[in-house]
Amino acid sequence: MSANSKANARAQKAAEMRAAQARRENRRRILTIAAVLAVMVTIVGGAIAISVLNKDEVKAVAAGSSDYGVSIGDKDAPHTVIIYEDFLCPFCGELEAATRDDLAKLAADGKVFVEYRPFDLLSRLGDYPIRATSAFALVLEKSGPEVAKKFHDLLYENQPSEQDPDAATNDDLVDLAVEAGATESDVRDGIENVSHKSWVTRATKEAIGSGVSGTPTVIVDGKAFDEGTTVDDRARRLIAAVD
Amino acid sequence: MNRTLAWVGLLARLVTGGVWIVAGGLKVTEPDASIAAVRAYQLLPSSVAEAVGIALPAVELVIGLALVIGVFTRGAAVLSALLFVAFIVGIASVWARGIEIDCGCFGGGGSKAGATSDYPWEIARDAALLVASLFVAWLGHTRLALDSVLFKRRSAPLAEIPEGAEN
Repeated sequence: MSANSKANARAQKAAEMRAAQARRENRRRILTIAAVLAVMVTIVGGAIAISVLNKDEVKAVAAGSSDYGVSIGDKDAPHTVIIYEDFLCPFCGELEAATRDDLAKLAADGKVFVEYRPFDLLSRLGDYPIRATSAFALVLEKSGPEVAKKFHDLLYENQPSEQDPDAATNDDLVDLAVEAGATESDVRDGIENVSHKSWVTRATKEAIGSGVSGTPTVIVDGKAFDEGTTVDDRARRLIAAVD
Repeated sequence: MNRTLAWVGLLARLVTGGVWIVAGGLKVTEPDASIAAVRAYQLLPSSVAEAVGIALPAVELVIGLALVIGVFTRGAAVLSALLFVAFIVGIASVWARGIEIDCGCFGGGGSKAGATSDYPWEIARDAALLVASLFVAWLGHTRLALDSVLFKRRSAPLAEIPEGAEN
């Protein structure tokens, strides 16, 4: 064999080895990528699983059977709506404003039974949610559901801001209760002493125990109702769902 | 110069990745708050908001881990940058629509009075992290990245072919 062809053979062999090396490199690379991706997918999957396991399902007491709310309409209406709300929560106020008249009309027409269940979600911002909810419970006890519903509406119409919740004083609450139709002598002392604080605690316990973790939580025919992007959109869909 | 940049790249990776890990970690165990935070932006339909609220913390966590460890650095940095763009758009959008919410960046979320005054600073923070992410993506190779171990180009150590081996 000539020196020349020996050199060629050597070069060819070297090229083959290089190619094999490159193939091995490539395979290793693909396996590494696959392994890292598998780890990432596992972490994402695990994190999502943790989230899903931590997610609360809202299982509210059936409409009309809670001790902590005020209802409008006929209990046997074809649709039921339960609204868990905090008197301080601005979205609750907006949803109230956007749905109140329609819900009241549909309730009067016998199409829907609506129960409002106020509780204390936001008292970390000030004691207004407790004072207002206690006043609501007091008015409900002393003056009945119709006055309590009117008081509830007035509380939302005169909602203080989350920044300064205690701008709404006990005197303001008394004035609103009287405007709603309560007798001042019935409610003044109770409002000033926050007489129904334990009612608020129990209502809050029932709401949290039902899996309610935010406000407003709306339940239509027993199921959490989350549709809609904006408050107005949500209100429109809610009305459409029960009309 | 390149050496310095590679160290700066490491710093950018650690800061951005650390922020993601904290942001994702805080939200993973609080899915309801996370979903509510996404809803509060009033941008996505409800069912999509729910999916995003659950998936986003998980994705944030993984991007953070990838950046800190330095695995798939470039891809993680690009995703990180895209997410920051999305967040900036989201915050700018609520700002423009006059909706006052907690950005829900690190858990929490929902409406918050006076939030408007926080928006500029939140956008600035996200913009800074966006720049850091883009820098890492542009750089590609940074110090102390697992990538450089996993994907080291082994300079093919060709076996010496002994002279006359064919004989």
